[in-house]
Amino acid sequence: MTRAVLITGGGGVGKTTIAAALGVAAAEAGHRTLVLTVDPARRLATALGLEKLGNHPEPNPGLHGLFAAMLDSAASWDAIAYRHAPEEVADRLVTNPLFEAVANRFPSGQAYAAAEEMAVHLESGQWDVVVVDTPPASGGIDFFEAPSRMRDLVGGRLLRWLTGARLPGRRGLFNLAGRPALRLGDALLGGPLLEQVAEFLFDLRTTYDGITAKAGVIERHFAAAATVVVSTADPGPLREALRFHEVGIEPALVVFNRALPDEWAEPAEPLDDGRAAAALNENLARWALEVRRQEDARADFSGRVGTAMVTIPWLADAPTDLEGLRAVFAGAPELTLEGVGI
Amino acid sequence: MFDRSLLVVSGKGGVGKSAITAALCILAARRGLSVLAIAMTDDLGLGSHLGVDRLGYRPQEIRPGVNALTIDRSQALDEYIRLQLHAPRIAPLGPVARGLNALADAVPGIRDIITIGKVLFEAGKPQWDIVIADAPPLGQITSYLRAPVTIAGLVPVGRVRDQALRYEEELGNPDHTGLVLVVTPEELPVVETNEARGEIASLVDIAAILTNRVLDPLGVSEETLTGMPAGPHRDAGLLHRGLYDAQRRWSAEIPDGPDIPFLFGVHTPGEVAVLIADSIGGTR
Repeated sequence: MTRAVLITGGGGVGKTTIAAALGVAAAEAGHRTLVLTVDPARRLATALGLEKLGNHPEPNPGLHGLFAAMLDSAASWDAIAYRHAPEEVADRLVTNPLFEAVANRFPSGQAYAAAEEMAVHLESGQWDVVVVDTPPASGGIDFFEAPSRMRDLVGGRLLRWLTGARLPGRRGLFNLAGRPALRLGDALLGGPLLEQVAEFLFDLRTTYDGITAKAGVIERHFAAAATVVVSTADPGPLREALRFHEVGIEPALVVFNRALPDEWAEPAEPLDDGRAAAALNENLARWALEVRRQEDARADFSGRVGTAMVTIPWLADAPTDLEGLRAVFAGAPELTLEGVGI
Repeated sequence: MFDRSLLVVSGKGGVGKSAITAALCILAARRGLSVLAIAMTDDLGLGSHLGVDRLGYRPQEIRPGVNALTIDRSQALDEYIRLQLHAPRIAPLGPVARGLNALADAVPGIRDIITIGKVLFEAGKPQWDIVIADAPPLGQITSYLRAPVTIAGLVPVGRVRDQALRYEEELGNPDHTGLVLVVTPEELPVVETNEARGEIASLVDIAAILTNRVLDPLGVSEETLTGMPAGPHRDAGLLHRGLYDAQRRWSAEIPDGPDIPFLFGVHTPGEVAVLIADSIGGTR
């Protein structure tokens, strides 16, 4: 049985680093591990053995049993079309400019594409552990809501509006005269555009059964996975982290990244010799303020959410190689594989 | 910066965009301007930095000289159809709006043009000296800025097209609109900002690039630190130096602009915005 670990949270909190560090730790514990990531920092990608974008897992040259793939959402959308629509319809879809626009801009699209890709790997039977670095869209919540949004998109709500209550055949898709709402739409946007959209949606509609079934499977994968919410002690990321709780997603673990040592806030004997003493006393005093702010933010958070929490120390330099990723894991003794169900 | 009708604030997610939008609003109001703050997609960040829980769709004065609103897409759509396109009142707007709402998911640019259209509509009102918009993050901003061009390309004739061309002109006019990019001196924000800058600059004038959370130099050498006995003074010094050096490397990759200092131990979003306003106001 493949274990899925979903790493999620707001932008810029270090999700990818933590996904990679967990991946390295899992592989070193002997699990055949895949890290699925979206657009990592270049040097981190190199550390994972990733030179180019691609959905195909690449083995890590430095660590046996560790693989990584970088999700290419445009390629994933094409794959979705061919997976769920008859080939001739899929051919028409992937060359339709509206399809490309939806692929690029439908906010849940990239997230859904990533979720389908995740499902492919979870069901392949090739992996003991799949660690997913979720796409950064609105705080990672999008990833969890993507299946239902996608179902709505292809579910024909708009198509029904454009065509009336019953789904027509391909011909006579669109009946302007009978629909006052459409007459206004036509005055505003022009008939050819609406007709083009209706044709596109008609094709997209053929994916409905497939996507509905798949979305259900993906939601079951989500429910079975261990979710790790990453945050810093800053207000924006904390708000994103709280949103998971608000929508009823219970994480296995909340990770506070960029944590400072608590002892910096304890009263310290001031340095009194040497030129540097005054500067260092002042420096410790201002970082102590930051330590207290972090402590308060974490206490406030744990007061609202009962989830297990771990802290990861703030590193001046983000890890760029396997050694650095091992150090992230080793530097956070509370972060364990057992804690995320591996 | 404040002599334009509209400032749009963007940057990679997590760099402090909303705080800086709020700070710019406070600063403009201190200079006696009548300011409208707009949360384009998500009102939580901007609202809390301006000291309120939620923002409404109608402008609401939340501190002296600063009004604020958030864009509710279905209300903006309604307003767009009625006020901007002067749609005849032939039918209740309900079904049309629901349909167009659904259409916005499928047709590129519709959702985006309704949002940017509302911002430009407000910027044209004489009651505001300046409108400052907390825009979506870098990954999505070009799609909003490009929406008028996209729509004009898709719709061959009619009022929507005329309106789109007017938007395009207003966004591209540097006397009217400026874009403020916020960046922090770290790898991903700097790399992504630099990747997006060219495309953004072809659509709107970049008024400023603000670097947020900038650390001061420590003033103690690494040799001194490593020669000290272990303890919090040494560790805090080493972390500060390490972060400062990394920041210097990344800020060298972006054009010079105002730096906003790292704020140690500041608790509430409201304090952050005021301190940033003090910091920018003092340096200019």
